[in-house]
Amino acid sequence: MTDVTTPMMAARRRRVLPRPLIFGATILLASAVVAVFPAQVAPYDPNAFDYGALLQAPTSAHPMGTDNFGRDVLSRVLHAYTIDMQIAFFATVFPFLFGTVVGALVGYAGGWAEVIFGRIVDAVITFPFLVLVIAIVSVLGPGLVNMYIAVGVVGWVFYARIIAAEVRVQKRLDYADAGRAMGYTHARIIFVHLLPNAITPAIVYWMTDMALAILLGSSLGYLGLGAQPPAAEWGVQIADGKNFMATAWWISVFPGLAIVLTGLGFSLTGDGLAELLRTKR
Amino acid sequence: MHLASFIVRRLLQLIPTLLFILIVVFVLVRLLPGDPASAILGDRALDADVERINRELGLDRSLPVQFAVFAKSVATGNLGNSIHLKLPVAELIAARLPITILLTVMAALIAVLFAVPLAFVAALRRGRAADSVVRGAFQVGLSMPVFYLGLILLTVFGARLGWFPVGGYGDGFLDHLYHLFLPALTLALSLSAILMRNLRAAIIGVIDAEYVQFARAKGLRPRLILSRHVLRNALISTVALFGLSIGTLLGGAVITETVFAIPGAGRLMVDSIYGRDYPVVQGLTIALAVLVSLTFLLTDLVQAWLDPRVAR
Repeated sequence: MTDVTTPMMAARRRRVLPRPLIFGATILLASAVVAVFPAQVAPYDPNAFDYGALLQAPTSAHPMGTDNFGRDVLSRVLHAYTIDMQIAFFATVFPFLFGTVVGALVGYAGGWAEVIFGRIVDAVITFPFLVLVIAIVSVLGPGLVNMYIAVGVVGWVFYARIIAAEVRVQKRLDYADAGRAMGYTHARIIFVHLLPNAITPAIVYWMTDMALAILLGSSLGYLGLGAQPPAAEWGVQIADGKNFMATAWWISVFPGLAIVLTGLGFSLTGDGLAELLRTKR
Repeated sequence: MHLASFIVRRLLQLIPTLLFILIVVFVLVRLLPGDPASAILGDRALDADVERINRELGLDRSLPVQFAVFAKSVATGNLGNSIHLKLPVAELIAARLPITILLTVMAALIAVLFAVPLAFVAALRRGRAADSVVRGAFQVGLSMPVFYLGLILLTVFGARLGWFPVGGYGDGFLDHLYHLFLPALTLALSLSAILMRNLRAAIIGVIDAEYVQFARAKGLRPRLILSRHVLRNALISTVALFGLSIGTLLGGAVITETVFAIPGAGRLMVDSIYGRDYPVVQGLTIALAVLVSLTFLLTDLVQAWLDPRVAR
């Protein structure tokens, strides 16, 4: 008999939530609220020009100053949450789902499926990720949807690799044998019984991946290959302000802080979840 | 001899990888909207010219034949010509890629110089203030976009303080190093965050191992134990991670070169995308992917040298 501890059991046994999870989740919750209701939180219209207030340093009227068109930087940073949180979600959710299914099947089947999959993994990790994404986006044209496609083509492999490794362990445990003895279908064993116990590391990686997606999305925005101006997106904003760094640093500096803060939210949540759901083997 | 057979095995594994790189790039080029001929010639091309280009590119033949022709020309170093610069792509890459390689090597060295001592401090003072500071720093480092960090370093140390040039590549080797320092530092800070996180965990994993206790019991000096026994074994997984990070590092180099106006391969890539210079984009994608797979090979060999068990 193997003593099985599921991630949920481990979570229930802890009485206090890990501190990184509390910090991280708070940041993400606030970010989500701003992303859904930017107009309610932001003091100004993010795209409204004000030629009477160009390049103004932070004041009480404009806490993050104004840019070279007199647009309120704070309002643009807040409105950018909508796009950047979307990037974090859409660039990662399809790879997560697809990779999980493929990884579960590969891990369960083993044998030749695993050999072929191993080759695919080797090949994909050889590609410099950003270079490949840039190449794909350059072919498909700039824009967010093409970026999701480019990221998705590669991104699922990492989830599949994580899930396959976990399922490979889980399928040898007694409860999987019990399922087979009960005459359950393979699909039922994989998706109802094995997957819930195998998915924790993939969820933890998903958090890190969302932080990476924001970095990637804003990098492409900065290069002019992601969200297109005048959209309020952090990378686009930093690019807009780069020529004013010496005289009006606030145009670029505040959007960058938003990226760092959101990234911290995701990675703290990931670390906290890992701690919360850790099972002793 | 394990190592020799390991090297041969690893070299053979390179073949499917290289084939895959070629297939991906081949498919990508076929995904181009419109046909390549009009992409090269523009919309108002003459039919005769389109036909000529199609014949030159081998587009009038079947896909497998096209791929064979493509693979053969890449293997012989013929990557076509740049549409805008009117130069062979291979020549352009040969001129620009060394700059990118120098930048990434510098970044890697600086990252190691940061990561190793800090990881030791964090691991040896686990749970104390120094550990928290180091871990907090790498959390921030992981969330910091390369272009943002670069812009800030450029503004502060380049424009404001005037310690470093605000861009360009300079003349002569030492001047190159001087020009590349800030961009390399930018890349290094994000890489060292990744390395430090892993190395700290690895050191903690190794430090209580029996052979380390044995070394301590023998009365070896702590410094010797750390450098010869702990570091060597902790480095094994970090070297693997380092290899995996090379792709990220090169991707970061694309952005850093753009921020710092360095005429390397990354800058060429971005410029070629803006100019829709597809032969250059294609050639660079191949060159960078090959560079990454060669680095993988190298890190695998280093791993095998650090830990002979890997080669089995």
